[in-house]
Amino acid sequence: MDLFLNRLFDALSNGSTYALVALALVMIYKATTLINFAQGEMAMFGAFIVLVLATERGVPMWLAVVLGMILSAVLAAGIERTLIRPFDPADHLPLVIITLGMFLAIGSMAGIVWRFDPRSFPELFPSGVALTIGSATLSWYTVGVVSTVVVTAALLTLLLNRTKIGLAFRAVSSNLESSQLSGIRVGPTLQFGWAIAAAVGTLGACVFVADPIRQLDPFVMVRVLIFAASAAALGGLDSLWGAIIGGILIGAVQSLLVPYTPIPNELSLAAAVFVLMVVLLFRPSGLFGTPPVERV
Amino acid sequence: MAARVLVQGTPAYRNYKLIGWGLFFIFLILIAFAYADTGQITLYDNKYSLSIPRINKALSFSVAILGLQVVVGYTGQLALGQSFFFGTGAYLAAWLVADHNWPWLQTLIVIIPVCFVLGFLLGIPALRIKGLYLALVTLGLAAVFPSVVQLEQLEEYTAGAAGKTTSSDLDAPSWLPLDGMAAALQEIPLVGVYFGDGDLSSRAANRIWVFLLFIIMIALLVWLISNLIRSRPGRAIRAIRDNETSAAVSGVNLSLYKTIAFGISTAIGGIGGMMYVAELGIASPGDFTQLLSILFIVGLVTGGVGTNSGAVLGGLIIAFVPEWSSSTEELPIVPERWLQGPTGTFIMGVLLIALMFFLPGGIVAGVRRLKARFVRLQPAPPKGFEHHVAPTPPEGSAASTVEADAEADAPAT
Repeated sequence: MDLFLNRLFDALSNGSTYALVALALVMIYKATTLINFAQGEMAMFGAFIVLVLATERGVPMWLAVVLGMILSAVLAAGIERTLIRPFDPADHLPLVIITLGMFLAIGSMAGIVWRFDPRSFPELFPSGVALTIGSATLSWYTVGVVSTVVVTAALLTLLLNRTKIGLAFRAVSSNLESSQLSGIRVGPTLQFGWAIAAAVGTLGACVFVADPIRQLDPFVMVRVLIFAASAAALGGLDSLWGAIIGGILIGAVQSLLVPYTPIPNELSLAAAVFVLMVVLLFRPSGLFGTPPVERV
Repeated sequence: MAARVLVQGTPAYRNYKLIGWGLFFIFLILIAFAYADTGQITLYDNKYSLSIPRINKALSFSVAILGLQVVVGYTGQLALGQSFFFGTGAYLAAWLVADHNWPWLQTLIVIIPVCFVLGFLLGIPALRIKGLYLALVTLGLAAVFPSVVQLEQLEEYTAGAAGKTTSSDLDAPSWLPLDGMAAALQEIPLVGVYFGDGDLSSRAANRIWVFLLFIIMIALLVWLISNLIRSRPGRAIRAIRDNETSAAVSGVNLSLYKTIAFGISTAIGGIGGMMYVAELGIASPGDFTQLLSILFIVGLVTGGVGTNSGAVLGGLIIAFVPEWSSSTEELPIVPERWLQGPTGTFIMGVLLIALMFFLPGGIVAGVRRLKARFVRLQPAPPKGFEHHVAPTPPEGSAASTVEADAEADAPAT
């Protein structure tokens, strides 16, 4: 039972970080029906900015995170304007290839600037144990990560449902042409989606590497992106809360399913991909996604 | 200057194609003998190597990209998992050759069906759905591959993290007079010195043999793929690429054709993997990561999406750009510290983005555009219309009359 609780807590904390990156992917998917394969690298770059601000400039940690999020939002808005907007949003192939180019360029740029030796990341949450049940321990880190995800998702929901730009964003994501006809400026609205996504992604990367057992290096988000993308697809790619549930499910596959079955630990990523494939087989638009309607 | 128009099916067109391919093959054979040992180019004190083993490795990448061409270039479905199947082919070949003493080429009878079936099965869930799910699932597969081959349970077959080594080479057959060819090339006045002197060492002979064999394999694959693309299934998959909905309305079974195209592409990827390990002699898990998959896409796009020659070119690019940029140790202006990082990957990423903006058809499209100023190729007019439709280019009607005459002289087909 205690072992189960420990694993459950692991599943929650892993799943929540995947959920954060998945939220970023969902924001971009809602905007441009595009999976941004560079999301992980953008988030890693943002985390490096936070690290530099916090350790070399002496900015307080949480302020550094906020500054890093704002900075990566600005960078992402620039990327959207220069690299994404010139292309036809309905044609996916060129856009995805652009994001793959960004994946290579941003990842190697971080390698050129910051090198590949792992750096320890300052703690975001108080260290130590919040709760002990038998021999199972719930660390403050897990509590922090889970609450970060819930707060982020709640804020995003409020932003999309209660503000004018959120309304415009929802209109554009539900029908691009009609919203253009009704006078919404599509370009800046999509740019807003990219900026929010980058900020959320940076937060996700910071939270992920803030775990005392992890360190920051340019490759850190490569695997996380696959887990997060599986989570987003599992939740349906266009549903915010679906992304969170997908993230928790993928975390559960990794930390609960794999240890209790004879699947070797190294295959947790494979298990996540397999679960994604099975879900796609039976529910092509994920668990909570909107099924696409094709008009001929 | 008016472009010369060549109509498909005329003798002039045939001669043009024959001379083009003939020159290309003579060039390849010269390269093979000239760089059999070591080739090096020095620029700004940096040494760039250009030897046959490196070219052979590039050619194995070319084959993987040719496979990718079938699913991405012709079917329009983005697949990011070619390194998975490339690796599968490589490990299967290494295992059969090292543990079961199979000859290299014989391994293909196992690799091709295994990779086809794997691709077919893994593609089913993703290809039933429109959009980017295939990219997602295949990227996951590519990420999973290194950890799968390092599993303890498979260590007996894959040799774990150290990589599976094979000691046997692709030996040059004794009936091929490579020595005589080398001697003949050395006799040529003035340029003979570039082909070394004396007999070929057996290592050099093997390298040349592998190179020629790879060229033949690529030529075969290109021929097979271009035939496939012009066949009925080929038209079906191109219809899917151009408009999925209208293809479905015209009665194309979307999921069937997509999965078959994916299966063919993965089978060709497996062949590429076998070539890779035949050249390098080792299959190690670190070689087949998702980075390789993405590099294949870079090769595909820089060469040219939807062209077979672009795939071959792309293989050369993704093999040589990272190598050469890592052997660039000093350059004027650029700080040395920057050159020590992963500059090759950076260049590839920037190249990929820049090409999407300025040359979406890749290098092949650029070359074609350039060539169109001098020579214009036209498809043959449909049967029964040979004498009614005269090829009339927008400018330079003088050239077109010459061609129309040549066409009239041609024997009726």
